[in-house]
Amino acid sequence: MGPSSLIVLIIAAIAFSGIAVLVSKVLLKATKNKQKGQPYECGIPTQGKTMVQLNVGYYLFALIFLVFDVELVFLYPWAVVAKSTGWLAFIEIVIFFFIIFMGFLYAHKKGALKWM
Amino acid sequence: MNELLTLMKSELVLTVLIFLLLFVKIGRGVRNEALLPIIQVLLLLNFIVGFFFNGEGSLFGGMFHTSSLIAFEKNILSLAVYLISLLFAGWLKKSQHMPEFFLLMITALLGMFLMISSGNLLMFYLSLELSTIPVAAMANFDLDKKRSSEGAMKMILSSAFSSGILLFGISLVYGATGTLAFAEIPAQLNGSPLQVLAFVFLFSAFAFKLSVVPFHLWAADVYEGSPIAVTAFLSVVSKASMAFILITVLYQVFKPLQSIWYNMLVLLAMATMVVGNLFALRQQNIKRLFAFSSIAQVGFVLVGISSNSTLGVASVVYFMLIYVFSAMAALGVAAVVSHHAGQENIDGYKGLYKNNKFLSWAMALALFSLAGIPPTAGFFGKLFLLAAGGERGAYWFITVAALNMIVSLYYYLRVVRAIFMDANEKPIDIIPLGNTERLGLVICGAGIILVGLAGGIFNFIQTLH
Repeated sequence: MGPSSLIVLIIAAIAFSGIAVLVSKVLLKATKNKQKGQPYECGIPTQGKTMVQLNVGYYLFALIFLVFDVELVFLYPWAVVAKSTGWLAFIEIVIFFFIIFMGFLYAHKKGALKWM
Repeated sequence: MNELLTLMKSELVLTVLIFLLLFVKIGRGVRNEALLPIIQVLLLLNFIVGFFFNGEGSLFGGMFHTSSLIAFEKNILSLAVYLISLLFAGWLKKSQHMPEFFLLMITALLGMFLMISSGNLLMFYLSLELSTIPVAAMANFDLDKKRSSEGAMKMILSSAFSSGILLFGISLVYGATGTLAFAEIPAQLNGSPLQVLAFVFLFSAFAFKLSVVPFHLWAADVYEGSPIAVTAFLSVVSKASMAFILITVLYQVFKPLQSIWYNMLVLLAMATMVVGNLFALRQQNIKRLFAFSSIAQVGFVLVGISSNSTLGVASVVYFMLIYVFSAMAALGVAAVVSHHAGQENIDGYKGLYKNNKFLSWAMALALFSLAGIPPTAGFFGKLFLLAAGGERGAYWFITVAALNMIVSLYYYLRVVRAIFMDANEKPIDIIPLGNTERLGLVICGAGIILVGLAGGIFNFIQTLH
C-alpha cells in the first residue's frame, strides 16, 4: 500500500459521487414544475424574499445562549471527576463560572439583553 | 501549583490584565484619556515581568511547554504590543471602544503566547483560533468605514478557510502517525505519501497566516481596510508569532521530512520575495505598500528558516526583534500623518520634511532599516538571515534574495524621496505630536540603531534554546 492507495482513494471518491449523480440523471424522468423550486414543498406558500435584514438582537441572544451552553458542556466532565479531585475541582469550577459570568455581565452592560 | 505559576506566568499575567480591563468596562467606565496611560503602564509592566522568574519545563502532559527561547519570543511580542499602545495613542483616544480594543488585542496576544508554547497539535489549533478571531474583530474597528468591515469579512473568511485546511492536515497527521503530541510525532515519520500530504496541508495553513505567496491574496485588502494600529498588529505581532511556531514545527516535529520541506521553503521564499517586491513597486497607498513589503519580508524570514540550524533560529528571532522596531516606527508615523492630515498616499507625503522634521527622520530611519541599509539594525538582521540560508550552500538562492533586497530599495526610498526631496506647494502643516507617540518613536529609533550595533544581543539569542 504505497502512494497508489491514496490516488485510488481519491479517484474512487470522485467516481462514486459522480456515478451516483449520473445514474440518477439517466434513470429518473425529470419533471419540472413551480412547486419544486419552493423552499418547502408543503405548507403555506412563502412570502417575500429570504434575504431580509434580521434584528441583531437574535444574534446576541444566540451568542449569550452559546456561553451557557458551552458552560454546561464543561460541567459534565467536571462532574465525573469532581469527587476524586476534591476541593480543588470546586475552586476551579468557581473560577470558570466567574470568567463566564464576567462575559455575561459585559453583555448585560452593553444592553444585549434589551429586546429591540 | 508553584510550577504552574512560574511556567505559565506570562499567560496568567495577560489573563489578569484582561480581567482588569473587563472590570473597568463593566464598572462605571473611565475616560479614554485617563485609562490609556494606565493601560500603557500595565503593558510595560507585562513586558518587564517577562524577563524575570522564567522557568523551563512542560505542563498538562506535554500540552504546554516553555523554555528560555520561548520566553524571549514572548517578550518580543509583549514589546510590540506595548509599542502599539504608545504609537497609536492619538487614534486610540478618539476611539469609542478603546477598552474593547485592548481586550481583543491582549486576548489575541494570549492566544499567541499559548500557541508558541503549545506542545500538541490540538493545543496549537485552539490557540491559533484564539489568536485569529479577536484580530478579525479588531480589523472592523473603524465602525463607520465600509472598507474596514470588508477587510474584517475577508479576514474571517480566509482564516476560516485556512483553519479548515489546517484541521484536515491535523487529522491526516493523526491518521498517519497515531499521535498529536509534538514530542511523539517525529519518531513515527518515515516520509510516506500520506505523511507528506498531511504536512503539505499543515504547511499551507501556516503559509496563509504568514501570507506567503501564493496564499497572500487576503493580506493587502485586510491591511488597507483596517485601522493602522490593527495593520501593525497583523503585520508584526501576528506574523512574528507564526514564524516562531513555524520554526518549532519544522525543526522539531517535522525534522525527519527535512529534505522535503527544504525544497518547499526555497521555492516559496523565492516566490514570496519576488511577488511581494514587484507588487510593492506599484503601490500608491502607504498601507498597501507596507502590506506588500511585509509579504516580502516574510520571504526573507523563510530564507533564514530554511537553514535548519541554531543559526536559523537565532537569525529569525533577531530579525523579528528588529522588524518590530522598524515596522512599528514606520506604521506609527503613517498613523500620525493619517490621523492628523488625512494623508495615506505616498504623494501626500511630499514635502513632509518642511514642517515635521522629527516625524520625517523617524520615518526615514525606519525605512532604511526595513530596506536593510547599514548601519541600521535591519542590515544586520538581513545579513544573518542570508548567512543562515547560505549554510546549505545554495548560493543561487541567496543571490536571488540579495537581488530582491536591491529591488526593495526602490520602493522604500521612493517614500523617503517624497518626504525629503519632492517639492510641494502645500506641504502638510505642523502635526502636533503627543508625548506618548514621541516616546514610542524614540524607543523604536533607539532600537533600530542599538540592536544592530550591540552585537551581544545576537550572541545572547544564540545561547537561548
